[in-house]
Amino acid sequence: MIAYPKSGSPAAPQLSVRLIGLGNAGVHLADRVAMSGLAGVEVIAMNTDSQSLVSSICQRKVALGEKATRGLGSGGDPDVGAQAAEESMDEIRAAVDGAGLVFLCAGLGGGTGSGIAPLVAEAAREAGAIVMVIVTSPFSFEGRRRSAQAASSLAALSRLANVIVHFENDRMSELASPRSGIGETFAASDALLSACVSSLVGILRGGGPMPVGLSDLLSALGGGSAAGAFGRGEGTGDNRAHDALARALKSPLLDRGRLLDESHSVVVHISGPSSLTFAEVSAIMQELGKHIGENARLFLGVATQAGTADPVGVTILGNFATDGESRVPVPVAAPATRPRPEPQRDVPAVSEAVPQVVVHEDPKPLFPEPEPEMPSVAARQPREPKPAPKPAPVPAKVKQETLQFESVARGRFEKSEPTIVEGEDLDVPTFLRMRGKAK
Amino acid sequence: MARSDIIVGVEVGTSKVCAVVGESGREGTLRILGVGLAPSRGVRKGEIVDLAIATECVHDAISDAETNSDAEIGSVSVAVTGSHVRSFNSRGSILIPADRFEIDDEDVQEVAVKAREVNIPPENFFLHSLIQHYYVDGQDGVLNPLGMVGRKLEADFHIVHGVKTRLQNTLRSIREAGVEIDEVVVNSLASAQAVLDQHQKDLGAVVIDIGGGVTDYIVYENGAVHHSGVLAVGGDHISNDISLGLRIPLTRAEKLKTEEGSAKMGDAPPGEMIVLKNDAGFSGKEVEREMLNTIIHARVRENFELIRRQIEQEVPLHLLGGGVMLTGGTSLMRGIKDVAESIFEMPVHLAREVGVSGPKSILNNPQYSTAIGLVKFTQALRAEEDEPGIFGSMLERIGGIFRRK
Repeated sequence: MIAYPKSGSPAAPQLSVRLIGLGNAGVHLADRVAMSGLAGVEVIAMNTDSQSLVSSICQRKVALGEKATRGLGSGGDPDVGAQAAEESMDEIRAAVDGAGLVFLCAGLGGGTGSGIAPLVAEAAREAGAIVMVIVTSPFSFEGRRRSAQAASSLAALSRLANVIVHFENDRMSELASPRSGIGETFAASDALLSACVSSLVGILRGGGPMPVGLSDLLSALGGGSAAGAFGRGEGTGDNRAHDALARALKSPLLDRGRLLDESHSVVVHISGPSSLTFAEVSAIMQELGKHIGENARLFLGVATQAGTADPVGVTILGNFATDGESRVPVPVAAPATRPRPEPQRDVPAVSEAVPQVVVHEDPKPLFPEPEPEMPSVAARQPREPKPAPKPAPVPAKVKQETLQFESVARGRFEKSEPTIVEGEDLDVPTFLRMRGKAK
Repeated sequence: MARSDIIVGVEVGTSKVCAVVGESGREGTLRILGVGLAPSRGVRKGEIVDLAIATECVHDAISDAETNSDAEIGSVSVAVTGSHVRSFNSRGSILIPADRFEIDDEDVQEVAVKAREVNIPPENFFLHSLIQHYYVDGQDGVLNPLGMVGRKLEADFHIVHGVKTRLQNTLRSIREAGVEIDEVVVNSLASAQAVLDQHQKDLGAVVIDIGGGVTDYIVYENGAVHHSGVLAVGGDHISNDISLGLRIPLTRAEKLKTEEGSAKMGDAPPGEMIVLKNDAGFSGKEVEREMLNTIIHARVRENFELIRRQIEQEVPLHLLGGGVMLTGGTSLMRGIKDVAESIFEMPVHLAREVGVSGPKSILNNPQYSTAIGLVKFTQALRAEEDEPGIFGSMLERIGGIFRRK
C-alpha cells in the first residue's frame, strides 16, 4: 500500500493508514480528505450525530452512542460524549484494529470531539497503532467553557498521541482576507489541515533515494515537550528548487523560517520529478542551513516521482521544544512511541533499507486554494501531569504575519487608472505579485 | 545680459504642491528666495483628478511662496508628469541646397522640424525636442553646425510628448489660481537641471526622481538627454503596500513608512517589533520590522529594476560614468541608496542641488529639486532669449518649448 516495490527489491512492509474524523468538525475534514482521494488511506467517519454521518462520503461510518444520544449528537457535553463512547467501545476498537498509523481529526470544544477523542486515541494505541492527532481548538468568542473543554481534551490527547498537530480557530482569520466569505475562510482552514495530512502521508509514502521513515518522523516530532512548525512549498520552472523552499519558508507558522532556528529537530522532505538534480537538493539544503540551528538534528528525505512535469516540493517539519530538557517518558504503555519501534505488527515504517523508486501521488493539485501549503501548527503538549496547558503552542510573535493573498488588492488605487508595465499591474503591491509568481 | 528678475517654478505633485521663488542675478547666478508648500489634494499619480481642489492647493502654495519670499508672483513655470508622458529618439535629415555650402539658422530649424515628423497619437502634444547632436555629411558628434560647410545635415533629437488634454489640466489649475505660465517642462528634465552639473551630464548620468505618485527618470549621455520616462509608481505605492500588507490604515502606513521604514532587508534583528500606539479609530498593533522592510524593499527594488530595464534598451549602463542621482521625496527613504546600488551596479548619490544659492534647508531637500530645476531651466531659457548667441533666437518653440538640454 505504501510503495510499489520494483522487482528484485525486498517487499516493502505494508503500513495501514487510517484517518478517523471524529465529531462534526472531524467528519467534515475527513470528507475533505476523502474527496481529495488520498489513495491508500482508509477514511472513517465517527460521530454521535447520525445526520452528519448520513451526509458524509467516507467509506466507513461509525455511529457512536446510538442509545445514549439517540443519534442526535452529544449536545456539546463531553460527558454525554464519553458515555456514548463507552457504549460503542467495541465499534471504536474495531475501527482502529489492525491499523498501523491512525490520523485522528477532531474539532475540540464540543461534546463528541472533546469527549471521545482521547478514548479513540487510547483505543488506537492499545491496538498498537501510531497516533497522529490533528485537532482544532474553538474560537475564543465561543466562550470559556468550550475553551476549557478543548484544553482538557488536548491535555489528555497529548498524553496519548504520538504527534499532535494543533490549529487554533482564532488564527483562521489569517488564512483568508477579512472580506472573504465565512465559507471561504472555513474552507481555507480545512484545506490547510488536509494539506497537512496529505503531506504527512506523502512523506511516509515517499521512497526514493532518501526516504524519511515513520521512525524518523516520530523521533523528530514526537516524544517530549514540544511544539511543531510546518511549512510546505512547491516550485516549477528554472528556479524551482529555490522557489519551493522560499514558499515553504514563507509559512506564517514557520515565522519565515525563524522558528526553524529554535527547532531541535527538523525533518526536511524534498519531492520532485525524476529530473530533480543533486545540485538542486544541495542548494535547498544549503539555503535551509541558514535557518536551522547548529545543534538541530536534521532528517533529510528525498523522493522522486516517475513524472517529469511535477513541481519540486519542499516540506519542512520542525519541533521547537519550549523546554527541550524536560523530556518526560510517555506514561501510557506505548511500545511504538520511541523512535524506531520494533518492527511489530503494523508499524514498520518505510524502511531506509529499501532502495526503490516509488510512485506516490502528489497531494498538492488537490487543493486549489491560493496557499494550500500554508502550514499548520503541529503542537506537542508537555507531558508533565500539570494542569491543562493552554492551546497556544506558537509564540505571539507570529500573530502579526498577515501577508495574505488577495486576488486583486489595489487599495487606494482601486479607482484610478491602472499602471500596467510589462504586463503587470504595478498598483498591486509588489510582494503580492511576487508571491503569485512564485507559484 | 540676463535680466535680474524673479523666476518661479511650480510643481503640482501628488503629495504636495510646491512653489520655489528664485532671483536671477546679473551674472547668471541664481538665488532661491523662498518656497511655498501646500499639501496636495485632488492629484493622483502626478495628474489632476479634481481640478477645483487642486487649484485651491496651487493657490495656497503660491500665496505661501509670496509670503515667504517677499516677492510678487505674476507668472510661473510648471512641471508636468504622468504615465501618459512618453519619449523617443528621432533623427532628422536635410540636404543643403546646392547653391550654398554653409549651414545657416534656417537649416538648423528645418532639421529639427524634420526630426519631429514622426507619428505620435493625434491627441498627443510635443513637450520637448531636445537636441542630442548633429551630423554634418555623416561626421558624428557635431555640437554646433552653424557656419560649417556640408551637403547634408542630420540631427538626433530626444522627443518628449504627452496627451494634450491631460497636460492641460495641470496648466488650468495654475491659470485658475491666477498666474500666467512661462514654461512647461517635463518633471525629469527639470529635476535634472537642479541636481546635475554640466560635467555630470557629459560623463553620463541617470536622474531618478521618486515622488509621491510617479517616478520620473532621465538619462544624460555626452551632455545630452538620451532617454527619459515616467513610471506611475511612487511613494504612495509604498504606503499602499504597507497598508495592505500589514492591514493598517493608510495614514498609519504613511507614518510608519517615514518614521520606521527602510528599503534595506536583513538589517532588523529577527523578531523586532514596532508597536503602533492606538489612537482614535485605530486599536494598537505590533508589526514586525523585518516584514515592514521586506514590503518596502520589494516595491523599491521592482521600481529600480523596471527603470534599469527601460534605460538599458536605449543606453548601455556602463557608458554612464556619472552614476545615478536619486531625488524626490521618496529618496529620503532609509536604505534606498543601497537598493539602487545593487540594481544599477554603479555609484548612486542622493542628489543635492547644484549651482544655486539660498537657504540650505531648501537646497538640501530633495522634495524641492523639481521646482528648483524649473527655476534654473527657465533662467537658462531667458538667458538664451535675451542674448541671441550661438543659436540666435532660433530656438524652436512649438506650443510648449523646445530647448537644447
